[in-house]
Amino acid sequence: MNAIAGNRQKASVIIIGGGIQGCSTAYQLAKRGVDVIVLEKDRVARHASGVNAGGVRLLGRDIAEVPLSKVAMQRWQTLDDELDGDTGFRRRSLINIAADEADMQTLQKRQALMHGQGYFHETMIDQQELRERLPHVADYCVGGVVSETDGYAIPYKSVFAFRQAAARAGAEFAEGQQVQRLRRIGNNWLVETASGRYEAEYLVNCAGAWADQIAVMMGDNCPMTYSAPMLMITTRMPHFATPVVGAVSRPLSFKQFENGTVLIGGGAKGFADRARNTTRLDYAKLAVGASNAVDFFPIMRTATVNRMWAGLEAYMPDNLPVISASVNSPNAFHAFGFSAHGFQLGPVIGEVLADLVTTGRSEFDLSAFRVDRFERKVL
Amino acid sequence: MTDSYDIAVIGAGPAGMSAAITASAAGARVVVLDDKPRAGGQIYRNVTDSPLKNTDLLGEDYTKGAALVEQFNACRAEKITAANVWHVGDNGEILFSQAGASASLTAREVVISVGAMERPFPIPGWHLPGVMTAGSAQVMLKSDGLVRDGAVFAGSGPLLYLIVAQYLRLGVKVKALVDTTPKQNYLAAASLLPGALGHTDVLTKGIGLLNEIRRAGVPVYKYAEDLSIRGEQQAEGLSFTAKGESHSLDAAHIFLHQGVIPNLNMTRATGVEHVWNREQLSWQPRLNSWGQTSVAHIAVAGDGSGIIGADAAALSGQLVAWQQLVRLGLISPENAENHSRPLQQKLQRYQGLRRFIDRLYKPADALRKPEQQETMVCRCEEQTRGQLKAAFDQGARLPDELKGLTRCGMGPCQGRQCGHTVSELLAQWQGCEVEAVGYYRLRSPMRLINLTELARFQPHRQASAVEVKS
Repeated sequence: MNAIAGNRQKASVIIIGGGIQGCSTAYQLAKRGVDVIVLEKDRVARHASGVNAGGVRLLGRDIAEVPLSKVAMQRWQTLDDELDGDTGFRRRSLINIAADEADMQTLQKRQALMHGQGYFHETMIDQQELRERLPHVADYCVGGVVSETDGYAIPYKSVFAFRQAAARAGAEFAEGQQVQRLRRIGNNWLVETASGRYEAEYLVNCAGAWADQIAVMMGDNCPMTYSAPMLMITTRMPHFATPVVGAVSRPLSFKQFENGTVLIGGGAKGFADRARNTTRLDYAKLAVGASNAVDFFPIMRTATVNRMWAGLEAYMPDNLPVISASVNSPNAFHAFGFSAHGFQLGPVIGEVLADLVTTGRSEFDLSAFRVDRFERKVL
Repeated sequence: MTDSYDIAVIGAGPAGMSAAITASAAGARVVVLDDKPRAGGQIYRNVTDSPLKNTDLLGEDYTKGAALVEQFNACRAEKITAANVWHVGDNGEILFSQAGASASLTAREVVISVGAMERPFPIPGWHLPGVMTAGSAQVMLKSDGLVRDGAVFAGSGPLLYLIVAQYLRLGVKVKALVDTTPKQNYLAAASLLPGALGHTDVLTKGIGLLNEIRRAGVPVYKYAEDLSIRGEQQAEGLSFTAKGESHSLDAAHIFLHQGVIPNLNMTRATGVEHVWNREQLSWQPRLNSWGQTSVAHIAVAGDGSGIIGADAAALSGQLVAWQQLVRLGLISPENAENHSRPLQQKLQRYQGLRRFIDRLYKPADALRKPEQQETMVCRCEEQTRGQLKAAFDQGARLPDELKGLTRCGMGPCQGRQCGHTVSELLAQWQGCEVEAVGYYRLRSPMRLINLTELARFQPHRQASAVEVKS
């Protein structure tokens, strides 16, 4: 759909942001017969959703996120069939490596907490099993924790698959439509972009690193920040690691894809220039990441880095997302601030938002994700 | 601090060497980084230290480079050789790896003079072992004195004829020259001939090369079309039609060449703006008349700014140096103007010749935009035209979207071999200008970098950590 100035495009729901959350929400709504328009300021999957590490991770989640993440993980196992697309999902298990005894104690505490809550998907492994699962891990590593259902997907392809499925179900996508103003007229929202005007009964804010700006237009302030988590990928290497790998206390994550390339991440942040849609890399921090990778996996010594990049991602002070109805506006909802671990949640967030829009309720306890959770405490 | 310079020049070909000579003579603190052990660039590679006994056989265009290389070696610029520059920031930060470690330096002004690369030649079978670019054949010759007997050379353009002639002068057997220059190019170029007449020496040299090849008894097939390389695991021969007749030549070595295009990964990753050159059918950085990019302190000189040839490249190197000297406050604008005017006039004169050459050797559409579904476009990730078209049909419209769906451009060549083809194919499929389609969004590292080298990266270069040739 090409909106031209003066055109008014009407729908029941307008979703602002064409990342994985926006596309997943569009899919769920369209599947339920709701007419929906997605407004994307650049191109679908242009930022964090399309260029993240692709980790599909239940392991190590904040307790508040576990119920959502568990359902999302079920969805990933059959998502390609559901969407009739190719997300590139591979179930590979995910191991967080303990480098020393202090890490093992951290894991034991975590284990007790999880078991106390009735969650048993994280299993501790000893040094021998670690070596069996990751034959090339450095000798000094003493153990770890594993989640069997975890894996990875290809980010751009995943978002694209949601988009295609949503479009087939009737959702409209308008790219290059940066929202400039929101107004409430009667029972409707008027949405103005540089070249179009749109109208809908409901609004959903999935605007990623720009979501705080949309939230403000809805009347909700929140202390979101944004940054540029960095990644690098090697050329093809002989196969040496099947599970996705993280570390308990060091900033390392990596995965070897089927084609042999190894993606190295770990949360090191570059510099985000949100106004200009760009990021700058911090090479000194990437060097630390390189050093950690070689340290944990000596076979990586000879690896060759082919590409490095960063995406613009939204963060909340407590690293938990906002999944919430607007506090100050009717018929408006938020899902943003996933703090670099929202990709895995994509399939379930669409369901939650579709529930919120169509029924006003969700089967999940979303109290930890309220948009106004930082406003209660004064002094 | 020992790691900050007035001017950093990246690439020591004719343009980079000339920029460094001019700038250092005027008192600027200049550093030149080059990835080879010796200066000279592709054209003057090893000209002062050739493995060949008689370099005259390579032609005077090669040997005359020796004077420039010697002048460069004698100039006051600091030379960092065998250095792989993998990041040039728009802030003047330069990161490079050398001898197993990474280091950095900063410069107030940057000259990117990384030259040209051969235009990809995406025909069926071009990815098979045994197929190389003619330029690579020349590199083997200049660097190692290596040649291949009984090879077929196919394509178009002065460099192709030169390499064939160089082979013949060394007594190497050449099986055939398959010339893909389309017939209509001769007609179209004829109208541009007057503009090139100031350079009759160059024109006669070109004719002389072809005559030399014919005299040596090498079969020359003109107006060749429908090229495809035979073979399953390895090139076995070249099939084509010429003047309405089908031909099939057996050969284990096939050298392809259809002109050169600017080497753009560095300017792309630095974030400067690029435009599509319709005459040269290639991307080039958008520059002002002084060679400055859209980022004020970054200039591009030589073939990396658009193909201009070695002589013009040397002039353009001087030109950007004068402008940067003004900004550094080392000379007055009037002084720079006086030095630059004759340079700009000479460069202007080269343009007539360049337009003629560009038109004459304009590669045919079918050799740039593959028509067969199974022709490889991205060799690294083995993506064929058919697979890319399927992704386009699914909705990918921009090079990055195609890349996201198919991995084309993600491999170790960092898109160098498929980038232009992808831009042109997407424009063709959408019926729009290439400019509207754009190019891959590129990032550093501009070269592959070893993980251990990266791990050893120090934010600032220590003077003692790098061996500096002076």
